[in-house]
Amino acid sequence: MKPRIAAIGICAALLLSLSGWLPAAETAILLKNGQIITVSGETITGGDILVQGTKIVKVGKGLPAPAGAEVIDLGGRWIMPGIIDSHSHIAVEGEVNEMGALLTPEVDCRDVINPQDINIFYALTGGVTSVHTMHGSANPIGGRGISLKLRWGKSAEELIFVEAPLTSKWALGENPKRSNMTGAGPARYPRTRMGVEESIRDEFEKAKDYMRTWAEYEKKAKAARESKGKNPPPLPPKKDFRLEGIADILSGRLWVRCHAYQSEEMLSIMRLCREYGVKLVCFEHGLEGYRITNELVQYGVGVSTFADFWGYKWEAYNTMPQAAALCAKRGVLVAISSDDSERMRHLFNDAAKTVRFGGATEDEALRMLTINPAKIMGVDRWVGTIEPGKDADLAVFNRHPLDPFTVCEMTMVDGAVYFDRAKYLEERKKTEEEEKKKEPEKKDGGEV
Amino acid sequence: MKKFAVILGSAVLAISALLFSQAKPARLFIKNATIVPVVGERIEGGGILVEDGKIKAIGKALQAPADAAVLDASGTFVYPGFIDSYSHFGLAEISSIPSTTDFREMGKENPELRAVWAINPHSVHFGTGRVTGTTSALVAPAGGTFPGISALVKMDGWTVPEMVVKEAATSFINFPMTPRPVGEGMAVQKESKEDVTSKLVEKIRDYLKEARRYLELKKLAAAGPDVEAPEYSAKYEALQPVLEGTLPVIISVEKAKDIELAIKFVQDEKLKAIFRGCAQGFKVADKIKQSGIPVIIDSLYTGPSEPEDGYDAAYRNVVELARAGVLISFSSGDSPAHGKDLPYHAAKAVAFGLSPEEAIKALTINPAKMFGVADRMGSIEVGKDADLLIAAGDPLDLKTEVKQLVINGRAIDMANWWETLYEKFKGRPEK
Repeated sequence: MKPRIAAIGICAALLLSLSGWLPAAETAILLKNGQIITVSGETITGGDILVQGTKIVKVGKGLPAPAGAEVIDLGGRWIMPGIIDSHSHIAVEGEVNEMGALLTPEVDCRDVINPQDINIFYALTGGVTSVHTMHGSANPIGGRGISLKLRWGKSAEELIFVEAPLTSKWALGENPKRSNMTGAGPARYPRTRMGVEESIRDEFEKAKDYMRTWAEYEKKAKAARESKGKNPPPLPPKKDFRLEGIADILSGRLWVRCHAYQSEEMLSIMRLCREYGVKLVCFEHGLEGYRITNELVQYGVGVSTFADFWGYKWEAYNTMPQAAALCAKRGVLVAISSDDSERMRHLFNDAAKTVRFGGATEDEALRMLTINPAKIMGVDRWVGTIEPGKDADLAVFNRHPLDPFTVCEMTMVDGAVYFDRAKYLEERKKTEEEEKKKEPEKKDGGEV
Repeated sequence: MKKFAVILGSAVLAISALLFSQAKPARLFIKNATIVPVVGERIEGGGILVEDGKIKAIGKALQAPADAAVLDASGTFVYPGFIDSYSHFGLAEISSIPSTTDFREMGKENPELRAVWAINPHSVHFGTGRVTGTTSALVAPAGGTFPGISALVKMDGWTVPEMVVKEAATSFINFPMTPRPVGEGMAVQKESKEDVTSKLVEKIRDYLKEARRYLELKKLAAAGPDVEAPEYSAKYEALQPVLEGTLPVIISVEKAKDIELAIKFVQDEKLKAIFRGCAQGFKVADKIKQSGIPVIIDSLYTGPSEPEDGYDAAYRNVVELARAGVLISFSSGDSPAHGKDLPYHAAKAVAFGLSPEEAIKALTINPAKMFGVADRMGSIEVGKDADLLIAAGDPLDLKTEVKQLVINGRAIDMANWWETLYEKFKGRPEK
């Protein structure tokens, strides 16, 4: 067993060392001679990016290195904005579904961030720099999600993308209906799409009453304060964290991210959200979104979808890998997201599939990985393109990121390198050589 | 490209009409193609003559016979059709709906079950699975220790018998896997003292021993009246060709330690084995090479078997196995809905160091060798089945469109479920 533990130790040390060389507050880094996929504009061949501290300050050709700046020669490799995964469940401690109740807007992924989840590192190896990590899809209204920056090695609190709006995860269809969970515990309401929608509508009405009760109380309390003792202060109503959560949805404080597959239930929930003034940002997966592009555009709702994951259940059957490109062509805001810690490592390959299937342009495909998910997460002011003023979240590839044979070689978050394949391979070689040297020892020592 | 598509499209239509209308298969001539035969040199601007489902002639100077339907493949690349080395095509429609799945039987020992009995030739996944160039697939049962017998089929046909290349292509043994202990530390050390894997392997050996005894008794009973014939066992009967080494057996195995155990198992039992998976094969690549056992690579959309293997273990594994000289092939894995990803797995290995030529071999001639059909599949050679893919570019490229497939000499109908949806919904007027 000892070698295994040693291997883990070395692995951990390696990962820590990779996350170790963080720049001091205002260190400058000049990334020279890259093919810069800015996403915001033209790709710059033989371009440079100047990073000051955590921000991109200049993008162009022939930028001089400021005194004391670290210079990284990209040697003609491709550099793009860090990939943003708008639908993820990584870095969450334990189960992502709160199964104890049907509607659980009171629970929050922020409370269970696990900064040691190895999937954070795996994501970095695929050029991913930010994720929106979410509650599961068992509940029509589930818990709150949280946007993270993948500052691998930092604490839970330090991973949080502080500028990102707070989100509420909803889910429609087979998952909240528990359609594919027969035998896993007693059946519960709802079992139909009708019941799913009704359970949301019902809770909205309760929350409106709750908000009204509190508003009346505040009014009376104010009057009491102003009466200078004439009116006795009223008793406050009971606090209800679940209804507080719904109230945050109704007030628009939480951005709604709604898991849905079928087009008609998407239309239905869009009407409901409009009726109650809910800020519905996008459908998660939305595999039938291609059928209702007119309506998605009209309501301003995006899709955070798969390039080609399909067919695993009935509601995921009526779709095609052309769906993302078709949605994008018709003006829907499309993000390619993973929902899976493995898929997130090759989102750039997935984006290339939208070029083959449905004929997305390469620019469109790249936007689906960067600025589009940034918009969906409400963080496009900070990330998603390579422009002065934006966070220095960058991914370096040895070939164009949509090339079938491309490999991500370096990933930076806030101007700090969190993954460097060359260094990783060097460390691994060293570790393996050390392991080899130990082999005879193990034999001599016999059973350990 | 558009012009080409039109030419090819109309050519295909004309050919289809010709092929479908005649009782005797017509001759097909593919001209002006860049031919990548896999076995032999690449031919620029060459022609391929197809007759009775077979490749009749190949060459640069070849002229189209007057009676042949001509497919102008200018600007395209013709490869042998890809062979998917492990799939559940036709055995699973929607994985979460039990009434649509037929690949996993109850019980642990089902060596007699045949995938060929259950394949649905009209599963949508045959149509969508072949869009990237797959013309044949091994269709496998799964589950238990002895899941049954796979069939090697073509990806086109009105009925299963029309599709079948080998009704019984391989048997299977799911080798026990040394579990990764949950958590690290003291508890693990205790757990590892007990070698659960070896005990489970003993159980498999016992089962094979029983099968051998049954076959021996049967033989003795046939030879004379002294020995009573054993009660008929379909299970032991099915293992006969496996034990005689005439039917290859695919052994799923992942961990390095288990691979070593499996090599010894194969050698002791004298089986004709093919490994599947071998996630940690890179740690024992030389030993696999020495054993002569080929390896079917599973889906490369997978993380490392253990974090210590490194984030890129799945890709590195393929590169190391190929470097050691192990005969490898690719497979799309467990989900027929993702059958089209077959060449993308190969591309992922190329990204991390496998040569593109090796990758193409691992999609064509290598699996043909593994399944004993290299005499009729896996390359573009005279006399072989005319199973061809005609692509607009490198078929390993995620962005390349496969324009046309030829299966058993027929330019097949490329329509599929995705195209049906796409054609319909791109027609919805925009507001």
